[in-house]
Amino acid sequence: MSATVDIRFRLNGVDTEVTVPAGMSTLEMLRERLDLTGTKYACGEGECGACTISVDGVTVNSCLMFAADCDGRELLTIEGLVASPVGEVLRASFARNGAVQCGFCTPGIMMQAQHVLRKHKGCERADLQRAIEGNLCRCTGYVKIIDSIAEACVTADTEQGA
Amino acid sequence: MSGISNYVAPRSLDEAAELLRAGNVTLLAGGTDLMPQSRNGRTQLRPTLMSIRRVAELRGISEAAGNVRIGALTTISELRDSVLVRERLQALWQACDRFASDQIRNAATIGGNICNASPAGDTLVPLLVLDAQVELASKSNGTLATRAVPIADFLLGPGQTARAATEILSGIVLALPPRHFISSFFKFGTRPALDISLISVGLAARRAGNALHDVRVAFGAVAPRPIRAPAAEAALEGKALDDGVIAVAAAAAEAEIHPISDVRASDWYRREMVRNMFTRVLAHVRDR
Amino acid sequence: MGAAVDIARGETLIGKRVPKMDAPEKASGRTRYIHDINLPGQLHAKILRAGVVHARIVSIDTSAAKALPGVHAVITAADVPWQRPIGVAKDHLPLKTDRVRSPRDEIAAVAADSAEIAEAALRLIKVTYDPLPVVTSAEDALRPGAPLLHGEELTWTAPDGRREVLHAPSPDNVAMTFNYAQGDVARGEAESDTVVEDVFWLHYVTHCCMGVSGVIAEFDADDNLRLYSNTQVPFLHKREFAELLGIDPGRIRVIQPPIGGGFGSKLDIYPFEPIAIFLAKITQRPVKLIFTREEEFLASPTRQPVLLKLRSGCKRDGTLTFRTVDTLHDNGAYTSWGATTPFVMMQTISSLYRVPHCQYRTRAVYTNNPYAGSFRGYGNLQATFAVEAHMDKLAEAVGMDPVTFRLRNAQEPGEITPQGMHFKSCGFKQCLETAALRSDFRRKHNEYRAKWHDSNPLKRGVGMASMLHVGGGAKIYPSDGCGTILKIDDFAHLTLITGASEIGQGSETVLAQLVCEELGLPLSAVTVVNNDTDITPWDVGVHASRTTFVAGNSAIGAARKAKAKILAAAAAKLELPVERLGLRAGCVVETGSGNRFIEIGKLIRSLHFSDKAELVMTTHYYEPPSQHQDREFKGDVSAAYAWATQVAEVEVDTMTGIVRLLRITGAHDVGRVLNRLGIEGQIEGGIVMGQGYATTENLIVENGVVRNPSFRDYKLVTAPEIPAIDISFIETMDGEGPQGAKGVGEAPAICVAAAVANAIYNATGVRLYALPFTPENVYRALKGQAQPPVWRVAS
Repeated sequence: MSATVDIRFRLNGVDTEVTVPAGMSTLEMLRERLDLTGTKYACGEGECGACTISVDGVTVNSCLMFAADCDGRELLTIEGLVASPVGEVLRASFARNGAVQCGFCTPGIMMQAQHVLRKHKGCERADLQRAIEGNLCRCTGYVKIIDSIAEACVTADTEQGA
Repeated sequence: MSGISNYVAPRSLDEAAELLRAGNVTLLAGGTDLMPQSRNGRTQLRPTLMSIRRVAELRGISEAAGNVRIGALTTISELRDSVLVRERLQALWQACDRFASDQIRNAATIGGNICNASPAGDTLVPLLVLDAQVELASKSNGTLATRAVPIADFLLGPGQTARAATEILSGIVLALPPRHFISSFFKFGTRPALDISLISVGLAARRAGNALHDVRVAFGAVAPRPIRAPAAEAALEGKALDDGVIAVAAAAAEAEIHPISDVRASDWYRREMVRNMFTRVLAHVRDR
Repeated sequence: MGAAVDIARGETLIGKRVPKMDAPEKASGRTRYIHDINLPGQLHAKILRAGVVHARIVSIDTSAAKALPGVHAVITAADVPWQRPIGVAKDHLPLKTDRVRSPRDEIAAVAADSAEIAEAALRLIKVTYDPLPVVTSAEDALRPGAPLLHGEELTWTAPDGRREVLHAPSPDNVAMTFNYAQGDVARGEAESDTVVEDVFWLHYVTHCCMGVSGVIAEFDADDNLRLYSNTQVPFLHKREFAELLGIDPGRIRVIQPPIGGGFGSKLDIYPFEPIAIFLAKITQRPVKLIFTREEEFLASPTRQPVLLKLRSGCKRDGTLTFRTVDTLHDNGAYTSWGATTPFVMMQTISSLYRVPHCQYRTRAVYTNNPYAGSFRGYGNLQATFAVEAHMDKLAEAVGMDPVTFRLRNAQEPGEITPQGMHFKSCGFKQCLETAALRSDFRRKHNEYRAKWHDSNPLKRGVGMASMLHVGGGAKIYPSDGCGTILKIDDFAHLTLITGASEIGQGSETVLAQLVCEELGLPLSAVTVVNNDTDITPWDVGVHASRTTFVAGNSAIGAARKAKAKILAAAAAKLELPVERLGLRAGCVVETGSGNRFIEIGKLIRSLHFSDKAELVMTTHYYEPPSQHQDREFKGDVSAAYAWATQVAEVEVDTMTGIVRLLRITGAHDVGRVLNRLGIEGQIEGGIVMGQGYATTENLIVENGVVRNPSFRDYKLVTAPEIPAIDISFIETMDGEGPQGAKGVGEAPAICVAAAVANAIYNATGVRLYALPFTPENVYRALKGQAQPPVWRVAS
């Protein structure tokens, strides 16, 4: 049987302690141990981005990350994001611009979008397209997702300026 | 799921090397290759899983005495964001730009990409043409020691490297290219990234007028490991680039590669693409 | 909100950009998909698949698996002797008895305390097989002496010993045939000045819903089944599950959690669902079964692969004369909806353009390959690909430009085609002209063609394709209707209970819009209930681009009844003639002046608490005025038909074969735009799905084995690859459609591959007859190294 590891980390701003099998992925830990089901399984090998979370300020595929490796780190999931001002801006923009159809890829793309907004590497459409190249969406054809992130970029800019 | 009986996360290179000496350790860096490979059975995890993420000595890009040292834990995103890499090591920057996706670039490390030793590994072809050396640390006789191995000698085959089980790849060292040095990486694919190379082409050389010197050519995904192409290099060495020279070099390259047919492409197509894309890369250099 | 509607001022909701009602919840990660639901006491199930392509099952030993701690049940076919076959032709047993016909075939299943334990148990099951020769293509399956996939009859023995034949033997591997004819093709050919004939190959692709397949089954103490399912057809499946279990359909309740993509993939029952039910019955515990992504690639249906031979002709003046079509459908190991795509294909063949003489023939043939299901567009991508290639070839042969040639043969409003389709609204010619104009088609087509022999290895091209698809339901089942129940409470909150499922396409929002439009209420006053067969009235399912049209008309019907009741009550209370009253902005108003008399909530309360003591609750069932096809496949199967033209502009790198899709200019006859945001999303998504079909997606099947069951090697289009998209809506205001609208769900995916093929020809002078246009395939064709598809089968 697999060894377990006791880990401590900050999850959506809250100190969290959990004991996980050493081989467990962060995605499995979030969904099965911590009941945070907003982070989705859709491929389990880093090809689709549905499980995107933020770790120490950068986005990663949680399916590719050993849960044990969360020890001492700062995690943000979709549940934490939507409780923040930037999450609210994104959620409103995604809804208003029609970025959501079946919605299964949406939390992962929201997470990737917050990374774009945080790193602020430019809001040109081509940059945004590249920024979400690791997120697959089967419904929307991406157009309205890109619209949504572009609008959120502008909103975030305005709010920062104000 | 796995037979891991022990998880360790050392904080220094010395500690990590000590743990490795004890044996039966799987090294974990970004995890982006290790996790799926351990799940699909391609990699058997050993009893001890060692995360090296906290080892500070393995981080950072530094420049000293005409050399650049890249810590093994440097992520692909950090390389892509580095001004030094973008301006001086263009081929490496281009490979990092075309590497997987943002999420994977944020987690994957250059050390991991090298040790995974995929024939299609994106950073390997630029490291070959940049004549990089990998630095291997171990405590085989009780004290921490390092040795340097040229990347071409380090890569042995798919998933096979010259790293001993007690060694840890601690960094990559390469000479900072001189002025008028050009390097270029081309990855064949239909999309900017999130793609496994069908073939890739690397070129580096010192440029004098229209002629290239110290030419280095490498190809990915056309042999069991990324390879240098000495005959193509010789065909270009010291010559002014014109259509004739380019054609001779491309023909030479074709003779040096051994592509396979798989689910992604046929060997015939890979050959055609090496010839066409090498030709295109050289033409771009000529016209630049 | 940017373009929000000011309902307080009584503005119309129709045609506005209305955000999806479920978007905030989904974007918050709060929506509970089937994967996110866990029931107390639930077990986790996993399926053992054969892994071998074609074999007899010699023995199965489950003893070690059963002994594993945490395992509650291990079942094989022997444990469920009462299982019945599933699928369109009832040729498919959920758990295989003696024979494996595909590597995906289900041999055994485990229910355990966790998915990991269930997986571990699978590894302990020992199965021995006796290999059989493999049938790898439809052509091979038709060769004399080919191994028979379903050569024996499939019987079922009831618990009382009664024996039934459920599937007759197929002595020639032919699962289904379709024959359709109109006019006299020999005469058509005799009248032709130009005749072309080609063979086309349309490849395997699969749905790739982002949410993998899953189900949760549980029985209550009275043995009633509750099924949490991703089905797109809950009411049809309720009946099928009842048949499967030998119980009264009334004892089955299907609950539909939000679904992570459908696209037609969930129109059939697949073995995993009955297997979860069997396990739930045996363990008397809730059983949850969720696929891995690899399993999703291996064991969910594909789009129908088709080998198609097309012969067509026209006169010197460009008038089409005849079409003869022969297709081989690779059915795979079992029969699902893919086999029946000829229903749609023959419509395109016979009726997209005016063709007096047509002959169409399909054989759907058993092989050891993956079996094909229904997929957005339902055969129409395949038929359109061939037809539109020939439209270009014929146009070129008679020296006409592609637009003029198509306009000459395009259908017009009022037309009743020889197949019996009646085009009451038809914007086809506007679609052609609009797409051609907005894409600058004629100029570019000439310019690009002139550059075939330029030295520049990068070539550009434009290509056009059009489509016809049902837009007002499709009368395939005995009924094509949908029911609605509407209740308006004392506070004017409206609950819209509809049979129509929301699968991400936005039906919930558009139905709410239609109802609010009638009743003058804001969208915020609506709750839509659409996910529980014990509550919702019957609907035939989400397919055939029918929901907006059929469920929309049903919802409008219920709303109009509620409106009549409210206005009657208002007229009585206000002592005014009912003709002077209307509903707007939450109030009863005077028509014309808009003067407000009373709030709707207040009026309803006064009705409720009056001597009459009434509530406002209405029902409506809408059955579209369409016909079943007769035995010759003739009849007006849809109440309306949708049209579209798309122009693709591509760049072809002749040194690599990479085809970049630069721009799609689409003109769609949608009847009327109801929700502009929603319809744009449908069309953009459909176009990109069509782009994937044309250029990137390819489920590689070799000797019955799927070689690329992952997103690494099965390439969906990613964000940087999408084309610029320009959409024009042609609003023909269909007389039967809800507010004039027609269905649009499938339309946008249908033309893309055909348009891209024509564009590649315009760019390079090389025509490709086989999909997909992956770099190697295109490069081979450009180098003259491609093997074009060949028709080897005797007719």
